[in-house]
Amino acid sequence: MEQTQWKRSSKMWMVLACLMMSFFSSIESLSVTVNDVECVYEYVLYEGDTVSGNFVVVDHDIFWGSDHPGIDFTVTSPAGNTVNNIKGTSGDKFQFKAPTHGMYKFCFHNPHSTPETVSFYIHVGHIPSEHDLAKDEHLDPINVKIAELREALESVTAEQKYLKARDARHRHTNESTRKRVVFYTVGEYLLLAGVSALQVIYIRRLFSKSVAYNRV
Amino acid sequence: MEKKNQTKQLRSAITLLLLLLLTLIGESQGIWLSIPTSGTKCVSEEIQSNVVVLADYYVVADEVDHHHQIHTVSLKVTSPYGNNLHQKENVTHGQFAFTSAESGTYLACFWLQNKHEQPVTVSLDWRTGISAKDWETVAKKEKIEGVQLELRKLEAAVEAIRENLIYMKHRESDMREVSEATNARVAWFSIMSLGVCILVGALQLWHLKRYFRKKKLI
Repeated sequence: MEQTQWKRSSKMWMVLACLMMSFFSSIESLSVTVNDVECVYEYVLYEGDTVSGNFVVVDHDIFWGSDHPGIDFTVTSPAGNTVNNIKGTSGDKFQFKAPTHGMYKFCFHNPHSTPETVSFYIHVGHIPSEHDLAKDEHLDPINVKIAELREALESVTAEQKYLKARDARHRHTNESTRKRVVFYTVGEYLLLAGVSALQVIYIRRLFSKSVAYNRV
Repeated sequence: MEKKNQTKQLRSAITLLLLLLLTLIGESQGIWLSIPTSGTKCVSEEIQSNVVVLADYYVVADEVDHHHQIHTVSLKVTSPYGNNLHQKENVTHGQFAFTSAESGTYLACFWLQNKHEQPVTVSLDWRTGISAKDWETVAKKEKIEGVQLELRKLEAAVEAIRENLIYMKHRESDMREVSEATNARVAWFSIMSLGVCILVGALQLWHLKRYFRKKKLI
């Protein structure tokens, strides 16, 4: 009698563990180089899941700040509709509720010919709803609270990843500024010395014997 | 009586198997990348040192494939110093894991070896740090399960957030030093350029005066 009870409870725990694991939401944080159009696909398991994320254009060797118009970001649902569209930014956050489950397409479009590196982070979060609670007798209301807590922590992690990517971009700008300061200043000094030497040579030539008696 | 018990056991075993399958499908998700027919597709991530990286990849079967060709893909994973961490040619699936020795950009590049008419879709499940943690072994070792395990996961997530904040603080201080050094340099170089200008002008005047005196023009 005790053995069958233990078997039953262990089975229940295994089922519960499996169900818990099935709420494991996917997290992707990567960088990709965008030449023209780069698309990334992510599968959304349940309808109504919150898909959140951010992207930052990290590597940019543009000369003037206003040159690059930024990249365009488009999210397409599995049905083919555009869920989200952001144009001409150097980095942004996004969040939407998935209307259907299926494969979502996240596309970056680079209008310029210079390749840009985009660092992106996509997170699909699922919180079991009342409907799921009613359907499945193994789910406790505590699972809903735990899922909400997990989603809140994930949003903090997402912010951190966004900050990290922005920090990387800032670091690139800083390094570029440092290099520019050194090279351009040294170049300026050399140019100045060269131009003044040329001036002296020119004036000397003006006063040279072969020219002087005719002109000056 | 025995038959009833057996059918009950069989049914429960099947449901368990189905649930396991569901969770496996749910867990083996990842982003899908489309590998072009020519050229490489690379994804990278900036990882600090001493971070566990775990990745799973497989070629997604194309439904609209009339030839029923088995698409194979080649990949190469490199460390920021150029060391080859993992390289496979013409595989349909695989996985690799490594602990980052140095901090920097880790690159995973995919390309198609044989000639394919269409781009191949590869699913890559790339996990670093806390996401790469093996919770099953932790659950077995500490003998926790269910809600306790979930709370343990949340605790680990909070710990990871705190570590990230500390790392960002260090980075901010490094960048602040570079910014302040650049600021000081700009001021110093600008004043020096003024000095160089005056110096060069004075040299010019001195040289020309000497030259004209020599030429007996002054």
